[in-house]
Order: sequence, then structure tokens, then C-alpha cells
Amino acid sequence: MSSLLNIGVSGLNAAQLGLKVTGNNIANAGTDGYSRQSTVQVDQVGQNNGRYTMGSGVDVIAVQRAYSQFLTQSLWSSNSALQGATTTNDLATTLNGLLQNSGNLQSALDSFYGGFNAVANAPGDPSARQALLGNASALATAFNTFGQQLDQQRAQINTQVSDAVGNVNSLVKQIAALNTSISQAGNTQPNDLLDQRDSLVKQLAGITGISVAAQPDGTLSVYSTSGQALVSGSYSYGFQLGSDAYDAGSTSVLDASGHDISSRLSGGTLGALLAYRSNTLDPAQNQLGRTALALAQSVNAQQAKGLDLNGNQGGALFSVPGPVVAAASGNQGSATVGASVSDISQLTTDNYVLTYTGSGTAPSVNGWALASSSGRPVPMTANPDGTLSAEGLTFTVSAGAQVGDSFQVRPTRDAASGLALATSDPSAIAAATALKGTAAGTNTGGATVGSVDVSDGSNANLFAGATVTFGAGGSYTVTDGAGNSTTGTYAAGTAIQFDGWSLSLGGTPASGDSFTVAMNSDGLNDNGNALDLAGLADAGVLDGGKTSTVGAYANLTNQIGVAGSMAANDLTTQTGLYNQAASAQQSVAGVNLDEEAAGLIKYQQAYQASAQVISTAQTLFTSLISAIQS
Amino acid sequence: MIRLSTSWMYQQSLTTMLNQQGELSATQNQVSSGQRINLASDDPAGATQVVSLNHILASTAQYSSNIDAANARLSTESNTLSSFNSLLDQARSMAVQGINGTLSSSDRQDMATQLTQIRAQLVQLANTTDASGDALFAGTSTTSTPFALNSDGSVSYVGNSDNQMTTIGSGLRIPNSDEGAGLFMNIPAGNGSFVASAAAGNTGSLLVGATSVTDASAWKAATAAGPVNYQISFDAAGNWTATDANNGNAVVASGSYQDGGSIGFNGMTIALSGTPAAGDTVSVNSGQTQDVFATLTNMINALNDGSVGDTQLNNTMSRQIESIDRAQDQLSSTQTDVGGRLNRLTQQQSTYSGLTLTYQTTLSGVQDTDMASAISQLMLQSTALQASQQTFAKVQGMSLFDYLK
Repeated sequence: MSSLLNIGVSGLNAAQLGLKVTGNNIANAGTDGYSRQSTVQVDQVGQNNGRYTMGSGVDVIAVQRAYSQFLTQSLWSSNSALQGATTTNDLATTLNGLLQNSGNLQSALDSFYGGFNAVANAPGDPSARQALLGNASALATAFNTFGQQLDQQRAQINTQVSDAVGNVNSLVKQIAALNTSISQAGNTQPNDLLDQRDSLVKQLAGITGISVAAQPDGTLSVYSTSGQALVSGSYSYGFQLGSDAYDAGSTSVLDASGHDISSRLSGGTLGALLAYRSNTLDPAQNQLGRTALALAQSVNAQQAKGLDLNGNQGGALFSVPGPVVAAASGNQGSATVGASVSDISQLTTDNYVLTYTGSGTAPSVNGWALASSSGRPVPMTANPDGTLSAEGLTFTVSAGAQVGDSFQVRPTRDAASGLALATSDPSAIAAATALKGTAAGTNTGGATVGSVDVSDGSNANLFAGATVTFGAGGSYTVTDGAGNSTTGTYAAGTAIQFDGWSLSLGGTPASGDSFTVAMNSDGLNDNGNALDLAGLADAGVLDGGKTSTVGAYANLTNQIGVAGSMAANDLTTQTGLYNQAASAQQSVAGVNLDEEAAGLIKYQQAYQASAQVISTAQTLFTSLISAIQS
Repeated sequence: MIRLSTSWMYQQSLTTMLNQQGELSATQNQVSSGQRINLASDDPAGATQVVSLNHILASTAQYSSNIDAANARLSTESNTLSSFNSLLDQARSMAVQGINGTLSSSDRQDMATQLTQIRAQLVQLANTTDASGDALFAGTSTTSTPFALNSDGSVSYVGNSDNQMTTIGSGLRIPNSDEGAGLFMNIPAGNGSFVASAAAGNTGSLLVGATSVTDASAWKAATAAGPVNYQISFDAAGNWTATDANNGNAVVASGSYQDGGSIGFNGMTIALSGTPAAGDTVSVNSGQTQDVFATLTNMINALNDGSVGDTQLNNTMSRQIESIDRAQDQLSSTQTDVGGRLNRLTQQQSTYSGLTLTYQTTLSGVQDTDMASAISQLMLQSTALQASQQTFAKVQGMSLFDYLK
């Protein structure tokens, strides 16, 4: 009789526990990270009385959470990818918005070049010149605005990196604390703590890529993609914030021992921020800067080939910051490095690292080796004056470097935000042709002056005044006012070059004929150079003379657009993958309310049945007692 | 059998609806803005093409406005040259009058006054400026009055001999005016090859008539060493001797002249009339130029000078008529050239309007929303969203708990 009662009570208890667990499941149906729990029932070992074994009720031995190590881990890794893709997409969309809203550089460039045409149409008209300066100023502002917006995004990334590092550090501490509690729980499974820890690990994976290893004592070890342990048992090791070795304005991530691991972190928000900065923002800003540099250099060089309204050689119209050289913070030697753009047509959008190797053999030149920031080795050539040249840049290096010293060269990053007008004087626009060729009145041959072009506006003797005198057989002598001379033989259709100018003749000169090349002093209403300046709109300046400034801007548009559409596509892909992983994980660990409702009915019925067993036992007992009494 | 987590189901349905809403709003944005590409990332290749097409359109528009500017200058030039030409016609007819009639001294004075006025008008026309105040015929000089009338009646040119150019296409430049030196100043004297003029001190009635080069190869041989300077002298019997002043007055040719006949040597033929007195001379020069203003000044001076006899006046006027003819030749060839340039401008302009249309069509194809497809997509997307919302309400309304009593 007592055995039946006991069986009934054990069933009653088991059903009650089942109801509680079901109730808990229902209560937590919406809790993030909660894993469905269930009771594990076993039948109690019965008593063998020789002929049969009589069961003795039910026992609940555990409350288990529905959990799959594999599915949870895959959820973590897809969360890394999803958060990374989300961050990249946010940044790339912002960048596209900046491109859209920072003024239209193409129309600013076209108005600017069009301004030269307007000056050419009325070279003496001050209003056309003033309008051109206005266009130039608007153009510089458009470059500045976009450049500054990119600087701001860089600053914003710095903030986000430090936020992310702060979050990582707080999460790893909490995970380590939970590790301690879980390992202390012993054999009972602390389901709620495990759920909490899984949820924290998922959050951590969203910030930075991790790998996780479960330990026999129930703790989790977490490692970053750089191989550093973030959590080990009850110990946590976070990241530290630091500055880039070359760029104090660029926040980088250091490991616990202070090494820069920025380039080795991937996955999650943090990985995406760092990757976006070096793979998208740097190239975009460099491309923009290179466009600004191309504009400034080509316009300034063409200005120098003409005369302004006052009859002086044209001065620079734009000023633009040159390459920035940053010494590594750990340099031991005393050497300094300077850099300048010597050939804009060869300039790339890369940043470079110049390292002192002390070796004279290739790939080192004079002890120095050059590589792009992405690690591509760049061959250099040594110039007679001791400078080194590579990819349109010329480096001036001083003595005193120690092996291992390095310098980062950022040729174009600051050019766009630093582009400025160098003059506000409308008459400073060099519309007039600089030089004029005149045939001597006594010439007997049929040669006429075709044109005098300036090939090098920086030649010191450009305006020295020169005379070309022909001798027999087309031989000629050029003598300039500074006393320099050269000789040559004239071939029809080939220009005579000297002192930075080239003189084209038509017809055949006779022996004794002479031509003078001198500053254009009486033709300041000339518009030859203004036409050449306007022609720069389509002139190839970059990439070996293949890309114009407008073309470079089109490339930038494409570059930014592709980054944006790739990020959007990647986000779609990663969202799909995450949803798949989450739905697989949820199908195991998630709470289905219909199922729980069925559970409720099940346990309620079990409870009622068990109660009926007790009631039966009681009835039996009562009938026995009354049989005795009666 | 797959278990579905209830909260995940909610979340999934919600995410789906949010995505559909996002797509719907993107399509709506395309329809309302009319632009298919709102951010470069919508279509990077298209966005790049938009930059290039806009650039081409901008440069085409710039070339068109350059053409307008050049058109204005060249039309002004063409009109100015016509006026100049008709003034020269007036001067010419007066010169013809001076040859034909016997003029009283007051007639001469009147003519001189009229010619002086014409000369002033010519100078004024030569100083014509364009809309922005730049002189049309100053070359590339900054002066606004390239032609200055001096007190002695001569006109000096302070412009230069370069032409101002306009870009009307990539690498395509045409002069938008003509410099004044070639137009008005450096006009070949006489018949264009040489000028034969009777000396002012001649006492006979010899008139120099039409002159020309009749034997080009002989003339070329004679001028091979440079401009010629011959002196033809007559004796009482009407015999002439031509000597070369450049060559120690060596005799070049000689012959006899009869009234109304002509003299020919070294490829030249000089028609003469009247009777020379002994010692009268005719000089023959080549390679000389005479500006158009000097032509008028010569006429004015001859008319004003009371000591000039009819023969001398006649000779002077004949020479000036030759000069006016040369000047008008120069004007009309320049006019033709200007007309050719204006034609080219018009052609180029119409090419650009065609191109602009083509590029704009292309641009619109790249960047504008295809309304038909965008609107049908909008309908499709809103229907899909509606369906999602309805099924969500239906599916989520089903729960086993509803049946627990």
C-alpha cells in the first residue's frame, strides 16, 4: 500500500517538475540566448522478489538544456561574419553618401576648365578671369569638403575601434567570471549560466573573430584570430588601444603584451573596421588626393608655360600639400627622409614604407628598401644626386639610419583636404603664350615660324632670348642671351628644342636665315596658353598619361560604388547564412509554444493521474480499514 | 520533422516584412526621384558612365559656347570688312573722278575733305572692338586702339601679327579674328608685283597706265636676287633706257616709245600714254607695301597740294586706284576666309547639337528610372508585402493555447 502511495508521489513530483520546467520554457520563450530545457526521467530501480521485479516509481535525474555544440559554434562564427558585413555596409553606404553629397566634383572640374575657355574667348576681360577664380575656389572647396568628410570617417572609425575594444575587454571579463562559476558548479549543469556564457560569447564573436575550445572542467577558452588567448579559464586578457607606429591619428589594436595586431584581426565589427580603413578608405582617400594633386600639378605646370596679364611668367594657381613622411615610433637612428612627387604620371594610390636594411644588394638600393603598405616590394632607382626614385616619387634620405628603421610615405592622402587657391589676383591667370618666334627680316628662305611651345616652364633660361641661325645644309646654332649655345641639323617637321622651349618651323630655311625666340612682350591678349589650360580637361595626367582628372574622378566613383555594392551584396549573403545558422540552432534550442502547450497538457494529465494513484491507494487503505471495523 | 522556435518565427516574419518594406521604399525612391542611381553603389559601372557622359556633355556645351563667342567675333569682323570695303569703293570712285575730269581747285578741296572723312571712318572701323572691348584687328596685343592716326596723316599699327584662336573641338582651333597688319598695313603696292610710277618732277604729259607681269619666268629671274629698283628715262626722241639702281645703274633694257604704246622688259609690261619730255623718268619697284590709309593720305595730299598739275594728279590717282584694288583684293580674300570659318562654326555647332542629343539620350538611359518597369515592380513589391502581412496575422494567430480551456 505504501509502495503504491510512493509510486504515486514520485509521479506527482515528476509531473510537477515537468510543469515547472515547461512553465519556465514558456516564460523564457522570448529570452535571447535561452535554451529550451527538459526534465530527464528514469524509472526507479524496482524490487526483485524472486519471480518478478516490481517498479517503484519515477525519478527525475536532470533538467537538461537543448544544446548542440556544433550549431552554437556555427552561429557564433556566422555572427562574426554578419556583424562584420553590417559594419562594412554601414561604412560603405556612408562613403557613397559622402560621394553623393560632397558637391559634384565632375561638374566643378568642368566648370573650372570651362572658365579657361571663357578667359580664352575674352582674354582681356577681367570678369571672365574673376569667374574662373571663383570656379577654381569652388573646385578646391569641393575637394576640401570630400577630403574632410573622409578624414571625419577616419576619426569616426577610431572612435568605433576604441568602443569595440572596450566592449571586448568587458565581455572577456564577464566570460572569465562565468567560467569560474560554471567550473565551481560541479556535476549539476548550471543551465542559466551556460546560456548566459553562450550569449556573451556570441556577442564577443560579433565584435571580433574568435575560436573557442571547450575544456574538460566546463570552462571555455577563447582565442582571437591573431592567436592571442582572450579568455583562459578564469583569466581574461583583453586588447589594448594604441596608435599606429607611423600615424598617431590612427587608432590601432594591441595585444596584452603591446604588439600591434591590427592587421591580423579579422571578423566581427572590429575586424571590419580595421579592414575597411586599410582596404577601402585609404585607397579612396589616396585616389581623391591623387586627383587633387594631378589637377594642381598639371594646372600649375601649364600656368608656368604662359604669361599673366602683367607680362610675368604664370605662377601657381593651386597650392597642394606634398607627400607626408612619418618616421616609425620605434626608429633608433637619426636619419630623416623627405619625399616629393617627381612624376605625377607614375604616381599610384599606395602608401609606402621605406626601410633601412643597410644592404647594398637588390632589392635594397643604397641601404634602403621600399614596399607598399600592403607589402608589395617596389624597386627603386638611385639618382646621381643621392636621392632614390620609385613610382613617381623621389626620396631624399640622410645618413644616420639604423638597420630596421622605417618611414611611412603617404604621397596623396592629405592632398584633397589641403588643396587651396594660391592666388586671388585675376590677372595672375597665365592666358598668354610665353614665347614668340620671329623670323629675321633679311631671311631669304621660305621658312616661317609655326609655333613656339614651352616644354619646361621651370627652365631658368626660358626667357633668356635666343637666336637660331642656320648654316649650310640645314645645320643650325642656337645661342641664348645667357651665353649658352647648341648646334643641330634641321629636319622638316622636327622642332628645334633649347632652354625648355621648342620651335616649330614651316618651310625650308636657307643658309644665313635666323629666327629669334623671345618673351611674348607685345601680345598679352593672347589666349594660347588659356586654350592649353582649358585643354587640360581631357589631357591624360595620371597613369602614364592615360587618365585625366575627370577620368580619375570617374575611377574614384567606380571604386567607391563597387565597395558599396560589394558590401551590400556581402551583407545579403551573410544575413542569409546567419539566418540559416540561427534557424538551425533555434530549431534545437528554441522554445516552440505549441510544443510547450502540449507539454503542459501532458504533465497536467500525468499529475492528475498520479493524484488518482494516490487517491486509489487511499481508497484501498480506507476499504481495508473499514473491512476491519465492520 | 523540424521544430520551429516560436520567437524565431516571429522574428523571421518580421525581418522578411522589413526587407520587403526596404525594397519597396528603394523602388518608390527610384520612381519619385526619377533616378535609377541615387548612390554610386546602386550601379558602380553606371555611376562611372554618368560621370563620363556628364563630362562629355559639359565639354560639348563648352565647345558650343566657344563657337558662339567665335561666331560673334567673326560676324562682327565680316560686317566691319564689308563697311570697310564700301568706303574703299567710295574712295575709288573719287580717284577715278580725279583722273577723268579736270577739277577746279575747290572741287579738289571738297574731294580732299570727303576723303579725309573716309579715312577717319576707316581708322574707326579698323579699331572695331568685340563685345568684351577687345580690339578685333589688334592681333593678340592688349591695345584697344591698334590703329592710330598721326598728325601727318599716316596711320601706325601698334597691334601684333598673331591671331587669336578659339577651341571649337578637341584639338581643333581656328582663328576668331584676323590681325590688322596683314589686313590693312602690309598690302603689296602697285599691281601686287611691282609699282611703276612717274616721277613727280616730270614735265611731259606721260601717264603710266595699267601695268602687269606678262612673263612670269622672266619676272621670277629678275626678282631672284631681291626686289628690283629700275629707273626708266626718256630722251627727247621718245627713246627709253631702263637702268638698274641696285646694280650700279647698269642698263637693263632700252627701246623706243610711242604715245599710247607700252614698254616691256624682264617680264613686265607697262602701258603708257602721253608724251614724255626729255629727262622724264618712271621708276619701277617691287616688294613694296603701302597701307590702305597711306593710299588715302596720298590722294588727300595730292588734292590739297595746289602745285600738283593735272598730269601728276592723274598719275598719283592711278597709282592709288591700284593700291585700293590691292586692298580690296586683300579684304575680299579675307572675307571669303571668314565666311569659310563661319561655315565651319555652323557645321560644328550642328554636329554638337546632334551629339548633345545622343549623349543625353544615353545618359538618360543610364541614370533615369525606367518608369514602366519600376512602377510594375512597385506594384509587385507592395502586393508581396501585403501578402506577407496577411499570412503573418493568420499564421501567428494559430496557437494551441487557444484550445486550452
